Parts: sequence; C-alpha cells; structure tokens
Amino acid sequence: MSRTTQAPKGLRATGNFIDDRFHVAKSGEKNLRKVFPNHWSFMLGEIALYSFIILLLTGVFLTLWFKPSMTEVVYDGSYERLQGVVMSEAYASTLHIDFDVRGGFLVRQIHHWAALIFVASLVAHMLRVFFTGAFRKPREINWLIGIAIFVLAILEGLFGYSLPDDLPSGMGIRILQGVMLSLPVIGTYVSMFLFGGEFPGEDIIPRLYMLHILLIPGILLALIVAHFMILWHQKHTQYPGRGRTEKKVVGVPMFPAFAVKAGGFFFFVFAVTVAFSAFVQINPIHLFGPFSPTSITSGLQPDWYMGFMEGALRIFPNWFDFTIFGYAVPTGVLVPALVIPGILFTGLAVWPFLEAWITGDKRHHNVADRPRNAPVRTGVGMAGITFYGLLWMAGSNDILSETFSLNLYGTTWFFRFAIFIGPVLAFVITKRICLGLQRRDRATLAHGYESGTIQQLPSGEYIEVHKESPDEMVHVLRSKEPLDRTDTEDVDENGVEAPSARGLRGRLRTALAHWYTKDNVSFEGVEPHSGHHGQHEEIAPEQAETATR
Amino acid sequence: MTRNGETVKWITARRRHPLAGYVVVILALAFFGVGYAYVAPGADRAEAQTLATEATGDDQTDVARGREIFVRSCASCHGPSGEGTGNGPDITDVGGAAIDFQVSTGRMPSTNPDAQMPRKASMYTQEEIYDLVAYYEEEIGEGPEVPLDVPGSAPERSNFADEEAYEAAKAEYEEAYEAYVSGADDVEVGMELYLTNCAHCHSWSGSGGALTDGKWAPELDDASPRQIYEAMITGPGQMPAFNDMIIQPDEKQELIAYVKDLQNEPDAGGIFNLNRIGQVAEGFIGWTVGLSLIVACAIWITAKQRAHD
Ligand code: HEC
Ligand code: HEC
Ligand code: HEM
Repeated sequence: MSRTTQAPKGLRATGNFIDDRFHVAKSGEKNLRKVFPNHWSFMLGEIALYSFIILLLTGVFLTLWFKPSMTEVVYDGSYERLQGVVMSEAYASTLHIDFDVRGGFLVRQIHHWAALIFVASLVAHMLRVFFTGAFRKPREINWLIGIAIFVLAILEGLFGYSLPDDLPSGMGIRILQGVMLSLPVIGTYVSMFLFGGEFPGEDIIPRLYMLHILLIPGILLALIVAHFMILWHQKHTQYPGRGRTEKKVVGVPMFPAFAVKAGGFFFFVFAVTVAFSAFVQINPIHLFGPFSPTSITSGLQPDWYMGFMEGALRIFPNWFDFTIFGYAVPTGVLVPALVIPGILFTGLAVWPFLEAWITGDKRHHNVADRPRNAPVRTGVGMAGITFYGLLWMAGSNDILSETFSLNLYGTTWFFRFAIFIGPVLAFVITKRICLGLQRRDRATLAHGYESGTIQQLPSGEYIEVHKESPDEMVHVLRSKEPLDRTDTEDVDENGVEAPSARGLRGRLRTALAHWYTKDNVSFEGVEPHSGHHGQHEEIAPEQAETATR
Repeated sequence: MTRNGETVKWITARRRHPLAGYVVVILALAFFGVGYAYVAPGADRAEAQTLATEATGDDQTDVARGREIFVRSCASCHGPSGEGTGNGPDITDVGGAAIDFQVSTGRMPSTNPDAQMPRKASMYTQEEIYDLVAYYEEEIGEGPEVPLDVPGSAPERSNFADEEAYEAAKAEYEEAYEAYVSGADDVEVGMELYLTNCAHCHSWSGSGGALTDGKWAPELDDASPRQIYEAMITGPGQMPAFNDMIIQPDEKQELIAYVKDLQNEPDAGGIFNLNRIGQVAEGFIGWTVGLSLIVACAIWITAKQRAHD
C-alpha cells in the first residue's frame, strides 16, 4: 500500500471500529484490498450510478399510486388540515402517498434526497474527470455522454419536481413557461404546444409525467449503459505511480474484487440516503399546499441543480430588452435562461477538443494528470466553478439576505460585479498556486524532501536536511511530462512560417498555445536527488519558468 | 392548538404511522420545555408587577396613566398631541389598533427612528397599553379600533401574583383562542387569501423574507391572532393595509387560522425540518452532509489498511 492513499486518522479509526465488530473487511479481505482503481475519487461516478438505481426503484414504487392528472377533486384523505380543499388529482394522490400509503412518505423522501445526491455526485464526478484530464483521447466520447447525462438529469429532476402540483411545482412550471414565452416569434406557439393551450391547463402534468417516468429515464439508462461499456473497454485512467504507465495498468481484475467493494459501497450510499429521508424533511408538499394560479410566495426555490439558472435570472438586468418588428425580445429572460446555460454546457462539451486543438496533442492518455501539471486547464476549471458557484448563490440571494441580514439590492449588485471579477481572480490565483506547486515538486525531485531536521554547518550556517524521497513519490513527481504544444510558432530553416500558423485561425491557435504553455515549469533534465544533499538551494525563477518546448 | 375533537381523531388515525414516534418525541420535548418555562417565571418581573386581572379594555382603563406613558415615551417623537415631528410620523389617524399593535409587539417606543424596528418583548403590560389606547382615543386621534373580540397575547405568569389566578386566566385565554381559530372552517379560503396577499412578503410558511432597502417582512410565528388582525387593518411600515372591506372580518379569521394551523403543524417528514427554509437548505445539507458522508466512506474503502495482525 502506498503511503499516499492512507485514509485520514479519524476515518481510519471509525473504519477499524466497525471492522472489529462486523468483519467487513475480513470477509473479503483480499478482494476489498486490491481494489481497482484504488483511489476514492474514482468512486464518485459510482455514487451517481447507485443513486440512479435508488431513483429507479423508488420511482417505480411512486408510480403505483401517483395519478398524473389535473382533474379537480375535493380532498378527503387522512391529512386533516386540507380536508375539503379542492385540488388536482396529482396533488391529492401525492398526499395519499404521504399519509395513506404505508412507507409512502419515506419512499417519497428517499426519491427526492436521492435526486439531490444523484446530481451532486454527477457534478463531483465530472470535476474529477476534468481536473485530471481524464477526458483526453481516447475518452472524449465518454465525456460527451457524461455531459448528456448531466443535462438530462437536471431536466429529469425539474420535471419530477413539477409533478406533485404543489405550490413550488406550480411556481416552477410558471417560470418554465415564462422562459418559453421569452423566445422571440415562436414563444407563444411553443408554450401553447407544451401546455396544450393556456397556462396551466390540463395537459402539462400528464406530459411531464410521461417524460419523467419513461422517456428521460429510458435515455438516461441507455446512456449510462453505454458509458459503462466504453469504460469497461477503455479501462479507468490511473493516477501516476510506480509501474503505472500509459501502456500498463496496475491493479487486479475488476471481478470479483470490484463486485464486493461495489456491493458494500452501494449499501452505504443507500443507507445514507435512507437515513436522510427518515430524519430530514424534504419538500414537505403537505405544508406547501396545492398550487393555484393566484398564489405568489417568497421563500421558495427550485432544487439546487436549477439554482444557477435562477441566479442568472435574478441578477441579469432587463436593460437590454428590445422590440423588433413588433416582437418583444426580452433579453432579461432569454439570456440568463437559455444563453448562459448554453454557454456553460457547450463549453464543457467542446473543451476536450479545444484543448487538443490548442496543444496539438493527439496521443492516447491513460495516466491522469495531476491538476497542478496543467495549470491553465486547472485555472479554467476553477474559473468555471466560481462562475457557476456565484450564480448558484445569487439564486438564493433572498435567503442569504434574510439569514445574514444583508441588503437585498446590495447582494444583487454584488453578484453583478462578482460574476465578472470572480472567475478571473480564480483563474489567476489557481494558476499561481499550480506553478508554485510545480516549482516545489521540482525542488523535491532534485533534492529530496524537507525532513524538518535542522543542522548547523561548521561555518555556523543553519540548513534543513533534505532526505531522499521514497520511490513512489519520485514516480509521481516524474510523471510530469512536458506539455504538448503545437509548434506553430516555429519557422523552418528558410524563415518560412509553418503553414498551420498562417491565417486568422493559425494566429489564434498560436496565441492560445502560447497562453496555454508559456509559464509551465520545466522538469527537463532534473535527475532525482541530483542536487547536493542537505543543502537548500532555490531554483532561480528565470530558470524554473523557461517554457517547455 | 388544532381543534380539539378533531385532533384526537387525527392522532388516532396517525398513531401507527412510521413517523409517529418522532412526532411524539417532539411533542413531549415541547411540552416539557414550555411547561418548564411557565413554572419558572423570571423572578424579577414577578415581583415588580402588581396583581392584574384579565382586562377587557373598557371599564377599568386609566386614562391618566395612559397620558403619563404617552408623554414620557411617545411625545418626544410623535409630538405632544400626536401630530408628528421630524423623528416620527403623524399618528392622529392611525387608530387604537395601530397603537396596540406597535406597542404590544415591542416596536414602539422606537429606539431608532431611521430603522425598521424588530419585534421584541413589550415594555408595557397589556393593561398599560389599554390605558394608552384609551388616552389616545380620548385626546389624540381616531381610526381602526382594537379588535377586542380577537384573542390577543397569552397571559404571562409574571403578571399574576398567584398560580391560581394565572391558571384561570390561561384557561380562559385558551378557550377564546380555540374558539376563534376553530370558528374558521374553510381552509381553502384562508389558504388562498394568505397565498395571494401575504406570502410574497412573509413567505409561504410565514417565516418572513427580505424586502428591498434593508427592510424585511418579519416571521409571523410569535404574532397573536389579534396582532395579525391589527397588522392587516393598520399596515405597519412597508406593509400595505387590508381593511375590513378588502378582506372581511370572517375572511381574516380564516386567514389567521390558516397561518396558525400551518405553524402548529408537525413536521411529518422528519425531526429535522431545516427551519422550513426549503430547497436552499436541502441543497446545502445534501452537499455538505450527504455527499461528504458518502465520499468519506469511499475514502475509507479505497484506503482500508489492516490495522491488526
Ligand atoms: C424614537 C422615536 C419614536 C418614539 C419614542 C416612538 N415612536 Fe412611534 N414611530 C416612530 C417612527 C420613526 C415611526 C415610523 C416607523 C415605520 O414606518 O416603520 C413610528 C410609527 C408609529 C406608529 C405607526 C404609524 C402608522 O402609520 O402606522 C404608531 C402607532 C406609533 N409609532 C406609536 C408610538 C407610541 C404609542 C409610542 C410611545 C409608546 C411611540 N410611537 C414612540 C418613532 C418613534
Ligand atoms: C409588501 C410586503 C408585505 C405584505 C404583502 C404583507 N406584509 Fe405583513 N409585514 C410587512 C412588513 C415590512 C412588516 C414589518 C412592519 C414593521 O416592522 O414596521 C410586516 C409585519 C406584519 C406582522 C407583524 C409581525 C410581528 O410578529 O410583529 C404581521 C402579523 C403581518 N405583517 C401580517 C401580514 C398579513 C396577514 C398579510 C396579508 C394579508 C401581510 N402581512 C402582508 C410586509 C408585508
Ligand atoms: C434521474 C432520475 C430521477 C430524478 C432526478 C427524479 C427526481 C424527482 C423529483 C425531484 C421528484 C419530486 C419528488 C417530491 O415530490 O418530493 C420526483 C417525483 C416523481 N418521480 Fe422521479 N426522478 C427520477 C427518476 C424517476 C423514475 C425512473 C421514476 C419512475 C419509474 C420516477 C417517478 C416519479 C414519480 C411517480 C414522481 C411523483 C410523485 C411524487 O412527487 O412524490 N422518477 N422525481
């Protein structure tokens, strides 16, 4: 076992406590130990898989009683407070699930908590893939499939949220309709088409229901299967380490080791979801009450994964709305609701290809990048996270302002500025940190690690003793390769530019390539422990920052 | 404080619900908590207060005492005859209901004329406020009157010399409260009125919300039925007024019953209700607790070492 993957002490102690009593590890000692790939961040995708399975199971349970119908009924179930209230069958049947179906309340809450955890784990998984460069050739297709799963999962959640026809569902659908209406020219038709007439109408719930329980889960299932088949075929990427190369994969066969570990992990995910659902109330539709078109209320939000769109809607001003040929173009809705998510998702989808184009890197990659070794990518990723995170926070600015006694207008203006400044700052800071870490790595590689022992030299000078790094660490450090870079800047011996560097595209590419690689720290020619032992020697910055070519 | 007979039925029906256990535990905790608070009154106040019987407001009022209070605590801002000064608005047409509302919710006397006042414990007893109202109505102005038929705040132990008088007053109060709230029998009307007129400021749950300019709509949990009624007819601060023509008195009763019933509704979904903040809190907890727990397990599984052998 390498020392780098030891669990933190607290976790280890808890784990051992459980283990001593239940022999979790002993029953499959070897299997559990030789897991592949042996790093926790490779389990994030599995969390998504397991929560999806939980969603399928609980969803099927819910369909047994849920009635997707807008027909009005007078409630006479056992929830006393709402007896005699006129409501849609959809809402009444959800109350029925809550109060008259044995375990129904719990299952509904499991379904909802699992939905939140599902999308959260997708995001976490996606970030892992992004920051380690695991989307690079040959895995671009799986990256695209992942994006599709992400988008569909968000839609699936939005539609599910709208089904019970309670207060927040209705408000959500109304926003959805507002977005559709904002489409120039075709808006009204699209809305009429989806709602089968005026808002809210009778048709919307049955239609969303069909999408929610059949079409989208079907597509999701197909995509997930494809995702795993490709993964099976291509294998996971692996973190750098001893014996791990682009060609050689270290580990044991996935089967049966993988099955044992996966089974255990599934039950843990399930247990956490159920524990949440048993103790923490989520989406209390019985308190919200049924939706009626006259209701307007504050304090309701969409589920978290819609938060960034809500935030965009809240902070985007309506200064740019205009009218053309008698058609209003409400950019104040159009841009935040369609353009911003569009940019986000398109950006995610094209990034692997953009990066390959910039660097000219056409090789296969099976060893994961350490994020610090690709500073621009890591910086862009952090900028993206900041952008998304700020929008997300802006989506709850009323709650923030209420909870922390902030001025509501103040928060809006804060986010309007922060949304531009934040990502830039995040990029610059992240890149600085990455380069700093690279420099430290280079020093460690050359001199060994700082032992913490201070020695006094005969001359009276104090120095810190550097010890030789263990083998594993050397391997990890040496995994840093020179960044690939298109050689478009080069001129041949006749002083003629390479053809690929000509024209607007060529110039753009050259500029981007320069930006991508210019201040990367070169490890070229650094031999492990080649520096004088016991001597602390700073690498001159100029030397350290020469570009890798 | 739901309607009594129906509560029993409701409980019988729900007793075997899987979550009933939690509800019982919460109720038990609430019962002991509240019980303790009643049994152990703040000693300092208990002594300072003289015996006070339940006041009906009319016959036993003491206008002289009302004047004294007004001159001492209100005139500096609202002027000696309530016509207003630079520090406080004209209150000659706001009515006794506004006086009762502002003083019983602790908003007045204000401590900062430039800021919205939060709700706090009132400086005066209900009897003193009645005196103030009587003085106001005699000398200063007129407007909507205190809705005496709507139950006000619960009696406080500290206002009574002995336990018996207190118990009696409390029982009487609870009866009046019950009668008022269960006099409303159409949830739908109350719900619709509340969600159409109030929820966009006070939120669906009555937990309040932020308004512009650093103002906020307060949570409604502590307001007595009478204070809610008074808020509607007087429209304090940023709040619009809803007089008895816009929302009829019996509709107001439905609305108030809806708010009170919703607040007393147990959180059937689990012991942690996240303060009914809703989706933002759910997302936050889902990420910080839910996903973290699972990731911690992943770290443990993938790094499990044999600690013994
Ligand atoms: C420090 C100055 C100050 C003092 C003292 C003060 N008030 Fe006020 N009062 C104000 C201000 C300022 C407002 C307006 C508050 C707002 O609009 O939110 C106000 C509002 C009111 C209103 C509501 C007026 C309306 O239009 O609804 C009433 C009633 C009132 N005060 C009564 C009183 C009484 C009774 C007292 C004495 C117990 C008192 N005030 C003491 C400053 C003061
Ligand atoms: C425009 C937003 C707005 C609307 C609509 C509104 N309120 Fe208010 N409400 C406020 C504000 C602001 C205050 C605080 C006033 C102050 O402190 O000066 C308030 C105070 C109150 C209070 C006093 C709470 C306490 O504990 O002291 C009650 C009760 C109340 N409102 C009930 C209602 C009811 C019932 C409705 C619907 C009929 C309603 N409000 C509609 C903004 C609003
Ligand atoms: C990616 C997968 C899924 C997600 C993210 C998701 C999300 C949601 C959400 C957020 C709700 C609202 C729950 C609430 O009221 O608290 C919901 C409701 C519902 N879902 Fe799903 N769901 C998924 C898959 C499924 C599947 C596969 C089925 C059925 C086969 C299903 C059936 C239902 C039904 C019947 C409801 C309405 C009942 C209710 O609201 O309680 N769901 N879903």
